[in-house]
Amino acid sequence: MSRSLTAQERLRRMLAIVPWVAGQPDGATVEEICQRFDLRPDQLQACLDTVFMVGVHPYTPDALVDVIVDGDRVHIRLPDFFTRPLRLTPAQAFALLAAGRSLQSVPGADPTGPLARGLDKVAASLGPGTPAAVEIDLGDASADALATLQRAVEEDRRVELDYYSYGRDAHGVRTVDPWRVHAQQGQWYLDAWCHASGGRRSFRLDRVHSVRLLDEHFERPDDDGPTEVFRPRPEDPRVVLDLAPSATWVVGQYPVEAVEERPDGRVRVTLAVAARAWLDRLLLNLGPQADVVEAPSGLAGAGPDAARRVLGRYGG
Amino acid sequence: MAQSDKLERLMNLTAALLHAERPLTADDIAERVTGYSEGREAFRRTFERDKDELRQLGVPLTMAPIPGSYPEEHGYRIDRTDYELPDPGLAPDELAALRLALQAVRVGEERGDGTEALWKLGGLVGGGGEPAASTGVPGELASLPPDPSLVPLFRAVTERRVARFTYRAASGSSPREVEPWRLDYRRGRWYLTAYDHDRGDERNFRLDRIHGEVELDEPGTFSGPAPSSPDEPDEPWAFGEGDAVTAVLRVDASHAGLALDQLGAHRVVASDDRTTTFGVPVTSWPAFRSFVLSFLDHAELVEPAELRADLVTWLEGIAAGSPDVGGAG
Repeated sequence: MSRSLTAQERLRRMLAIVPWVAGQPDGATVEEICQRFDLRPDQLQACLDTVFMVGVHPYTPDALVDVIVDGDRVHIRLPDFFTRPLRLTPAQAFALLAAGRSLQSVPGADPTGPLARGLDKVAASLGPGTPAAVEIDLGDASADALATLQRAVEEDRRVELDYYSYGRDAHGVRTVDPWRVHAQQGQWYLDAWCHASGGRRSFRLDRVHSVRLLDEHFERPDDDGPTEVFRPRPEDPRVVLDLAPSATWVVGQYPVEAVEERPDGRVRVTLAVAARAWLDRLLLNLGPQADVVEAPSGLAGAGPDAARRVLGRYGG
Repeated sequence: MAQSDKLERLMNLTAALLHAERPLTADDIAERVTGYSEGREAFRRTFERDKDELRQLGVPLTMAPIPGSYPEEHGYRIDRTDYELPDPGLAPDELAALRLALQAVRVGEERGDGTEALWKLGGLVGGGGEPAASTGVPGELASLPPDPSLVPLFRAVTERRVARFTYRAASGSSPREVEPWRLDYRRGRWYLTAYDHDRGDERNFRLDRIHGEVELDEPGTFSGPAPSSPDEPDEPWAFGEGDAVTAVLRVDASHAGLALDQLGAHRVVASDDRTTTFGVPVTSWPAFRSFVLSFLDHAELVEPAELRADLVTWLEGIAAGSPDVGGAG
């Protein structure tokens, strides 16, 4: 925090700092206050210089906030106001509970640990409907697989995955260097270097059947930033689709490379096809809401071909 | 030093209103609170801005009649019970665990709200800096998407306020009046479980289908949720309206594990070496059709006959390559 704080930023802190310091029987050190409330010592000093003039009419000593700085210790004594901090706003309470419940929902979390206890206390103090107000499910993953992968990430150990590739509709075993485990959009993912494909890949944990921790260690590359869940490669074939207005969710869901509104209200998009099964599913799902406008010869009849294969199961 | 003057004035105003035994008029405030400049017009302008700033922070600054005034006068007050955070009595390890949660999970786009909540509860304790920096693992374990309706609906749930909003369903947009019971994040989306006044029943709403503002009634306008039903729908095909039909789906052994993960073992009705059969309650057929088709030719919808026939019609339309075949519902 290098810039100077606005009056409102100072007020937000001071309405919390003043009751907290006043509640410490022996006061608190400047260092501790700065750490707890995210301030530099000079910023704290400027705030304290102000607070020490705050009070109520007639502003006699007994009606003022009493601030004593004794070496590096700060003591505050209060008249009858500012003895408690301001209540949490709904946005603050929500941010805290949603983050806490998320971490508590991770498979393997301790149901009676400090986080669970802290959340229960905070929720109970907020309002009648708060304890059950927010439920979080970050996605399906087995506690064992998650624990093994988190350990592998921490120890830079290679792992072997039994994995079902949804895009290719195929089962297989992969040896990977696990970089990071994270949850987003309702799924758990492992970002890793995949030795079979010689590239960085994201694996969905609900498609990992088992994980074996290997003894080999790997070198983490300098640049191991977030892996995209799906990144089209230049050599992937491209298809051009016209989407009905009801199917334009596709634009938000997949990395489309060109979007063009058509005069008839349809939207023309270009999509990279990394795996045939992915395109088959998309076209079967969209049905009459999508038309293939352009496709390389191998993919031109993808929708009708896939539909005929499925119809084979229905005696068609 | 303008920022310091303003901080002093805002704190003096807050202190005066917390301390006063009766509501204070603007004249009282001009007279008794230091930091306001002389002159009526200058006072009025500054005081208006200060009230707004305090309310933005969540300070419950309200107007109330002044007891004993005749003719009745109104004044400003801050009710102590509404202002003061009850002490939840957090132990240091609990405060540290909450801080860790805020570092590991990003809720929406900014982190300021959670941090300020921690200040009020005793500040930032434990850890600090980059979590797990030694391993180079980024600290963020999960992120939850933002939605403009989240905070208003959270408020409605915690304070038991009846809520009104416009909802887009397959059948069109309609105004809804509900008793909000719970917010759920599942499968990457936010949902509201609520009692729907017009339909006289419990309903699930997707937050991304709420259109425009959520309006809230006063606190305590309903008495609380019914006991939660054991079988909460969390599948996209359970979010339609009307009665559920039971769909029977037969999945090849090669893909049975995948189906089991998504449907749950309690849905299995038969299983042998070659296939596993599931019975699934369905209220939204388009959503279930997508699910069935995601198995490509590794699964077959056995019953009910009319949905099976509808699926065949859907596939025949695609097989014929005609864009004009109408889709079912």
